[in-house]
Amino acid sequence: MKIHDSLDALLDALPLKDGLSISFHHHLRDGDRVINLVLNALKERNIKGMHLYASSIFPSYTAIKDLVISGHISDITTNYMNGPVAEYISENGLPGTLTMQSHGGRARAFEEGENKVDIAFIAAPASTKDGDVTGARGKNAFGSIGYAVSDALYANTKVVITDTIEKTLKPQIEGSHIDHLLKIDSIGDIARMASGTLKITKDPVGLKIARETIRFLDAVNAIKNGVSFQSGAGSVSLSITRMFNEYLKSKKLKGSFYSGGITGLHVNALKEGLVNDLYDVQCFDRAAAMSLLENPHHHFMSASDYANPHNPNRIIKDLDIVILGATEIDLDFNVNVTTDSYNTLIGGSGGHSDTAEDAKLSIIVSPLLRARTVLIKDRVNTITTKGTHVDVLVTERGIAVNPKRKDLINTLKNTTLNVMKIEELRQLAYNLTGTPAHKDHKLTPIGIVENRDGSRQDTLYKKE
Amino acid sequence: MGKQFITGSLESSDCMVTLYETTTPVIEVDTIVHEAFHDHIVTLINDTLKAENMEHMSVRIQDKGALDYAIKARLLSAIEQYKDDSNG
Amino acid sequence: MARSYLFIPANEPRMLQNAYVFEADAIILDLEDSVAIEEKHEARFLAREFLRHHPRGSAKTYVRINTESDWLKQDLSMLEHVPIDGIVLPKLTLKMWNTYKKHAESIGVDTDIIGIVETPDAFFELDALGDKTPIKGLILGGEDLVSALKTTRSIEGRELLYPRSMVKMACARHGILAIDTPWTTLDETNLKTDIKHARTHGFDGKCAIHPNQVPLINEALSPSKESIDFARRVVEKHETTKSMRFSLDGQMIDKPVLARAKETLAKASRYGLLKEGLNENS
Repeated sequence: MKIHDSLDALLDALPLKDGLSISFHHHLRDGDRVINLVLNALKERNIKGMHLYASSIFPSYTAIKDLVISGHISDITTNYMNGPVAEYISENGLPGTLTMQSHGGRARAFEEGENKVDIAFIAAPASTKDGDVTGARGKNAFGSIGYAVSDALYANTKVVITDTIEKTLKPQIEGSHIDHLLKIDSIGDIARMASGTLKITKDPVGLKIARETIRFLDAVNAIKNGVSFQSGAGSVSLSITRMFNEYLKSKKLKGSFYSGGITGLHVNALKEGLVNDLYDVQCFDRAAAMSLLENPHHHFMSASDYANPHNPNRIIKDLDIVILGATEIDLDFNVNVTTDSYNTLIGGSGGHSDTAEDAKLSIIVSPLLRARTVLIKDRVNTITTKGTHVDVLVTERGIAVNPKRKDLINTLKNTTLNVMKIEELRQLAYNLTGTPAHKDHKLTPIGIVENRDGSRQDTLYKKE
Repeated sequence: MGKQFITGSLESSDCMVTLYETTTPVIEVDTIVHEAFHDHIVTLINDTLKAENMEHMSVRIQDKGALDYAIKARLLSAIEQYKDDSNG
Repeated sequence: MARSYLFIPANEPRMLQNAYVFEADAIILDLEDSVAIEEKHEARFLAREFLRHHPRGSAKTYVRINTESDWLKQDLSMLEHVPIDGIVLPKLTLKMWNTYKKHAESIGVDTDIIGIVETPDAFFELDALGDKTPIKGLILGGEDLVSALKTTRSIEGRELLYPRSMVKMACARHGILAIDTPWTTLDETNLKTDIKHARTHGFDGKCAIHPNQVPLINEALSPSKESIDFARRVVEKHETTKSMRFSLDGQMIDKPVLARAKETLAKASRYGLLKEGLNENS
């Protein structure tokens, strides 16, 4: 492994050429410095037509937009994108193709040679001189570096960029995989890692949705000893996690594990003995990062061990309950978290399609109405997650159960919960908003949404 | 352009309605739900003006996804202010 | 029969159209104190169009009108032909009632009234109000009252001890609803204590000034699971023995206990607490 003392020295030593494929992880979320730094340097060296494999793209990754405009990036494969980069691509497409994968699908694609990456750039908060790397130490410690493991194992050339050299550490990625090491002043701004998503809602509509979700879980007896649970970092999800913890406590139950993206709320459950273990692919806040470092029951896991559909030991195969969001859902329970109704890219699967498929009970939580826009459509604009993997929709005005879950429908026969068919829930919404008009648009494809197994699930189109 | 009568707000689920007199009446709807409800909102405004004998008036609306009852209420309120102003 | 009365400012469409989402047993669309003077004109139209066109939920729907005479008349004119469950009349005294009655008759509005007693004058007329007016309930207006008494609200609630007792006594005498004043911060612990005061005094319901207060109020003012179970067994035994006097769990059950049991079950049914297997109160 070679150690370099400047970015230029590093780039001089790398096999750069037109058509290069490069990868980055997104663990610093909106506070990442490395991706812009490296991309701008590659643009300076006029490396054209690159294929970018970024596990997610946040608003601050503006260099991506610049390089797409200048033709230095022609193809992108990612699991999530939002912000100015996403808006630009929605309006203009790419010179090449946009491919959206899930977190588990990305890991599989690396392993099975479909994501062929020439150079993986791994921003590491702490590294030894041998390239042993962890996300849990250093001044910009973000906890788990789970999404970078596939890159470290399967890319041709692996580069670690760090701002903290330590003598020794417990590696999340072994130095034996690493080819190059560079130390810079700062890999990012850890304070911006938790930007935006992390507040428990005080919004009364969000709290209503959260309460209804817990009531639903209670009504179908889903929360028992040994239960496993996963929720996102959206404000409604966080409220549900908090109420889920309270439920376990009040009924004197203990869960087996919480998985996925870990927050301080999940850590509280571990500390209070409400759950046995946490399996962490990504930390959403400092409390989670600290816990990963200190608590032996808080386990690091790679994206493959988390959700690779071809990994027989993936954690989520044992997942009982997952709470997920939606921008749209349709009458077949297909869910869209990738685009809005008019083809602007506003997200992507992340772990959505992975967990929805593997979990025994997949629950979508969302407001039914966002101002005058109704959540439920005839057909979603983009299928992120197939309806066959979605069990329940919980909104502030009613709950819809997928007809294929006759067992749940049967259990809910005498409930006081407002359960109805999804068509009826939509009509309830239309009775408030009026029936929206729809115009057919000429559609220009700009990319595809892949299934977890790599097959094509849906097409992405340009915004009108 | 005559006096403007402005009601409502730009809060989510609300709309701001400006009622005014010009030589040729015009309805302008700027809405965040353009494809879904623009034409419907124009019709709603026209129907309301007609029912109130206000077809000579122009309306500009900036809509943040208000439902029909709110659009109608904002417009009726502007109309009543106009009538009070004309009579007062 | 409502545990929670949620105030919704009528000048905010976003709040109006979510009014029935927040699980309050009753909503009070407010044209009075939560609406700024310059917005009252528009609020009136919003309330009317909302009440005319927006689908109702299961909650009772009330409107709190203004007491200033021009506004009161305009509010009542707006509500003519609009079906509501009642009007909430603030600053209630015999004099205010007579003013209201005069205008309501002349405009042609005839609906139930719940009055807010919030001045010292009102407290010397409580019995007469119950006797001489058809009001269906009294809301204790604690915030305005403590201002008039030149004191402040406290969590311990001593300053409202006598007013709460007086209101409940008058309501009990005249068989009308007693509704407690809202707690005006969102602090959950303090809110729970204040709701306990309401419960201790035997209030039927309590006002909420924010949707997040509603679940706590509903829970605290619902019959407990134990009392529902006991009530169920009392009624069952009464039906099997066909007796008006019998023993259950070593307790003598007679007419008043049976009546209370039936009332508890009626409340439990109204609040959706009677379904099998659903643990609303645990």
